[in-house]
Amino acid sequence: MSLRVGTLLAAPVTAFLLALCVAPLLILFAYSFFRVDFVAISYDPSFANYAKIAGSATYRGLILKAFGSGALVVAITAVIGYPVAWFLAKRAGAMKSALLTLLLVPLYSGDLVRVFAWRVLLGAEGVINRSLIWAGVTDAPIQGLLFSPLATHIALTYNYLPFMVIGLWLAFESLDDAWLEAAADLGARSPSRFARVTLPLTFPGLVAGGLMVFVMVVGDYLTPQLLGGASGITVISAINDLFGTAFDWPLGSAIAWTMLAILMAFFAMGAMLIRRSSLVGGS
Amino acid sequence: MSRLSTLWVWAVFAFMYLPIAMIALFSVNDSKIMSLPFSGFTLKWYAEVMGDGRLGGGFLTTLSVAFPVAICATLLGGLAALAISFYPMRGRGIFAVLLLAPFLIPKLILAVAQLIMFNETGVERSLLTVIAAQTVIVLPFSTLVIASVLIRIDRGLLEAAADLGASGLSAFRRVVLPLMANGLMASWVVAFVLSSAEYVLTAFVSGRAQPLSVLVASDFRFALSPSLNALAVMIVFGNIALVALAELIRRRASKTGA
Repeated sequence: MSLRVGTLLAAPVTAFLLALCVAPLLILFAYSFFRVDFVAISYDPSFANYAKIAGSATYRGLILKAFGSGALVVAITAVIGYPVAWFLAKRAGAMKSALLTLLLVPLYSGDLVRVFAWRVLLGAEGVINRSLIWAGVTDAPIQGLLFSPLATHIALTYNYLPFMVIGLWLAFESLDDAWLEAAADLGARSPSRFARVTLPLTFPGLVAGGLMVFVMVVGDYLTPQLLGGASGITVISAINDLFGTAFDWPLGSAIAWTMLAILMAFFAMGAMLIRRSSLVGGS
Repeated sequence: MSRLSTLWVWAVFAFMYLPIAMIALFSVNDSKIMSLPFSGFTLKWYAEVMGDGRLGGGFLTTLSVAFPVAICATLLGGLAALAISFYPMRGRGIFAVLLLAPFLIPKLILAVAQLIMFNETGVERSLLTVIAAQTVIVLPFSTLVIASVLIRIDRGLLEAAADLGASGLSAFRRVVLPLMANGLMASWVVAFVLSSAEYVLTAFVSGRAQPLSVLVASDFRFALSPSLNALAVMIVFGNIALVALAELIRRRASKTGA
């Protein structure tokens, strides 16, 4: 079959995505060079917005904080998810597809409902606090539970753990047990088998899952906003404010593009890491 | 080792279902205060939600968005899945990146970008803009669901059809399409669920008519109440039932397709 059929089929999809995803992002990019003149946009290009971001300790801090959160949640989900992925691929047997479905089902409840549920659990008037008081463990509600970085990171971990597990699970599925048996025959003990066989061979899954979790944590707006309280100000919520009450679309656009550029760099690096480590695994 | 890992997996799954279980429990608890001990069983919170006209209107708005989104995402996703997993095409790598982009770009950034574009081109924000915007972010998922069915189809069947004299188009209509039908149905349901649950993008590009997710968001920013529990439970179980249905359809596809 000629290449024409596939290209023809892809054409409407490409047109749709160019119009509603690529074009808006390009307009956003153009806006990042404009500035606000009183209440109107002044179409007079300059690098002023980017200079403002680079020179502002607040924005630099928010960007660093976003990446810190991303890295932290990637680490937590990796540690929690690694044994789960191994179990699903190697030990679950007939239950595998049922367990995989069960893992993904909470995702379909929607961001809002999940955040709401954590508020019900962690709030000062929430289940945990009320129940602790009822049980006589404390006299007053523990205030730090909700509206804190702790609450935000618990919910972020909850939200994105399944993506990490899926990435790792795919890697474990393609891990041939013969490698481990060979290592055991050659006298490698369990920790050394893990460090020198299992971990390197599942590394592409770790990178893939990690990248997904990382971008989703960095881009999450609702969770820090509704669970973080004062700590819920993120670079994403800053963009939201610049497009809302603060009315500085050009500066908001510049921050958005700074984030996109950094995320793209991460992706390029991740793709390179995956390619390199799967070359090693294949040889 | 094995027992420890089993325990770990159980603990993780318990963690994943703890929040849902909690709101389900307190949605039938006969008290305004969400705490142990339980005060008895009631359905009054559900009755309160069902009797709320504003939420009812929001629900209808959600439906009038989710139906077209599910149809558009499935049609476009079907084309994309065929192009990427079945028929050879030029620039497949770039096309795959383009398809994944809406999933990877932070939703709020996509939302403000679309807001600027609609603003610059003078497009009034309405349910139509919501439908267009949601279709963009649902598309990666619907493509994935359909592609997962397509890659299991035996290419030999196409060759057999060609040997029997079928043209490309009639081979598609009589061989590929019946085999991918289950994938299309599963994609429709998944797209419907994702559309109805979407909030960030919807809040930015919706006009005066507000879907349920936007209404609920403004409600629970301010107060927690058992009737919100009841509403959340209805949303969760509605969605789970639909996803289970989609999974069932997709499984049936893998049986007949293999």
